[in-house]
Amino acid sequence: MISDATYTVMFYGLSATVILLALLAVNARQLLRAALGLMGMLALSAGLYVMLRAEFLAGVQILVYVGGIVVLIVFAIMLTRSSELLEDHPAKLTRILGATFSIMFMLIACYALGTTKFTESESTQAVRDEVRDIGLALLDRGANGYLLPFEAISLLLLVAVIGGTVVARKTPPKHQPFTTGGDLRGETVAHPPLVQDDEHVVESKS
Amino acid sequence: MNTALINMAMQTTLAAIEPRTIAQRAAESAHENLWITAGYFLAAIVGVALLLSFLGMALIYIERKVAAAFQCRIGPNRVGPWGLLQTVADTLKLVFKEDFVPQMADRTLHMIAPFLALLVPVVLLALIPYSPALQVADLNIGILFITAIGGFGVMGILIAGWSSNNKWSMIGAMRAGAQIISYELSATLALLVVVLFSGTMSLTGIVQSQEDGWWIWRGHAAGLCAFIIYLVASTAELNRTPFDIPEGESELTAGFHTEYSGLRFAFFFLAEFINMFTVSALTATLFLGGWMPFHIGDWTSFNSAMDAIPPSIWFLGKVTAIIFVIMWFRWTFPRLRVDQLMHLEWKVLLPIGFANLFIAAIIVLANAYPYPVAGQ
Repeated sequence: MISDATYTVMFYGLSATVILLALLAVNARQLLRAALGLMGMLALSAGLYVMLRAEFLAGVQILVYVGGIVVLIVFAIMLTRSSELLEDHPAKLTRILGATFSIMFMLIACYALGTTKFTESESTQAVRDEVRDIGLALLDRGANGYLLPFEAISLLLLVAVIGGTVVARKTPPKHQPFTTGGDLRGETVAHPPLVQDDEHVVESKS
Repeated sequence: MNTALINMAMQTTLAAIEPRTIAQRAAESAHENLWITAGYFLAAIVGVALLLSFLGMALIYIERKVAAAFQCRIGPNRVGPWGLLQTVADTLKLVFKEDFVPQMADRTLHMIAPFLALLVPVVLLALIPYSPALQVADLNIGILFITAIGGFGVMGILIAGWSSNNKWSMIGAMRAGAQIISYELSATLALLVVVLFSGTMSLTGIVQSQEDGWWIWRGHAAGLCAFIIYLVASTAELNRTPFDIPEGESELTAGFHTEYSGLRFAFFFLAEFINMFTVSALTATLFLGGWMPFHIGDWTSFNSAMDAIPPSIWFLGKVTAIIFVIMWFRWTFPRLRVDQLMHLEWKVLLPIGFANLFIAAIIVLANAYPYPVAGQ
């Protein structure tokens, strides 16, 4: 539908921005700026997926990576004193090692890109109802279905949720003066009233 | 031959009024020329800017009038007839105010945050079917996209709070983050109920699935329950009273936008009101049939009278009603404490949402709708 020239302009515009934001994510001195760069990069890669007609993947990319993971990262950064954690001058060895591995990885990637023969996929021509296809494939018990991986992932996520709850749960100390429940459920204070002396909080004898 | 001509004319007319989204039209006309596409982009930017400013001013005026009515006041009545130009004057004042950035703030992020906050509601406006012929883009992953972009919305607030380098801003931003992320769960569960009922994620598809009855009553109690959960959770995501602890002026000055002034503050303000419009429009689309007219069973004359009202008026009427309800909330419920907020989401709304989704699945499986469902 859209002309090739438009596609080309869109593709190069998107790609250049993605690369710039990726560089920002790696090079930014401040953690929050790096996280923002990462966010922009992930969101714009979703744009590339849309150009490839993989709209569902694009939606999930934004939902999981931008709305989930990056927001979590930003939360973690905001909870720490990130301004005091600035690692302005990493050790020389770290820098050399990092540079070596990055260059090696770039060479391998370039080699792989240069030697791969890209064939044009046929399925991009027709617009499919891809959500329906994905849903059916996920719950298919047959040879091409993904029911077992789907259930396994559900179980994994359930374990993660329960684990997270257990880790985050705070067991109150024995003599906690009040509960976090506040006055919501009209709780009566289970402990006897507390008397405070200069240093310790002790239970009163009455 | 005459009949053939008439047939041809009929077909061309039908093709002309066949509903197409604005994005489709833009793509079709951009078949040959890159400049036409660029022109469309320009026209879209101007159109969105005009729509945003008009919507923002209108909603702020309505909010002030509604607030005044609830408090037995008159509200703005000095500038222009019935005070209609009051918000225009206020906007001009905001535009000409000094754009102030605190010295120790992170300047770049401080500048970016308002734009991020406004980005989300503007993108969501594109998905809403205003009438059969007026919709910018009808994605077949519509609901998924709404959820995804909605999660993105919290970033603007978080960054505004952090970059201001101010404790109040920071606390406000953290509260907003915790609140929006929590309530997103319930909102998504309520959306899933509608997806289950209508069997599609495209918003136009959802509107068309309500031809025989809106989901709020055709889905038994599950539809009504999902409607209420979505309305409450969305109000929380909007950071509006009774869920306005991120701004809580009595404790945090103004929360995450304490350090903002002038046009950048106006952007946050605008984002909140446009968000309110988007949420109301989505609620109307999902639960109240969007632009579908109100029909009662076999009452043919009543139904045809209802059909005479144009779809866009139906849509606007429903949206206005929901906006009024959200404004009503503000003057009815006192602000919740943080722990009450979390209690409401995690211990009340979330379990109800899960149970509701389960019940909705049973209703769909049993095909137990009160009215026959078209196409089944």
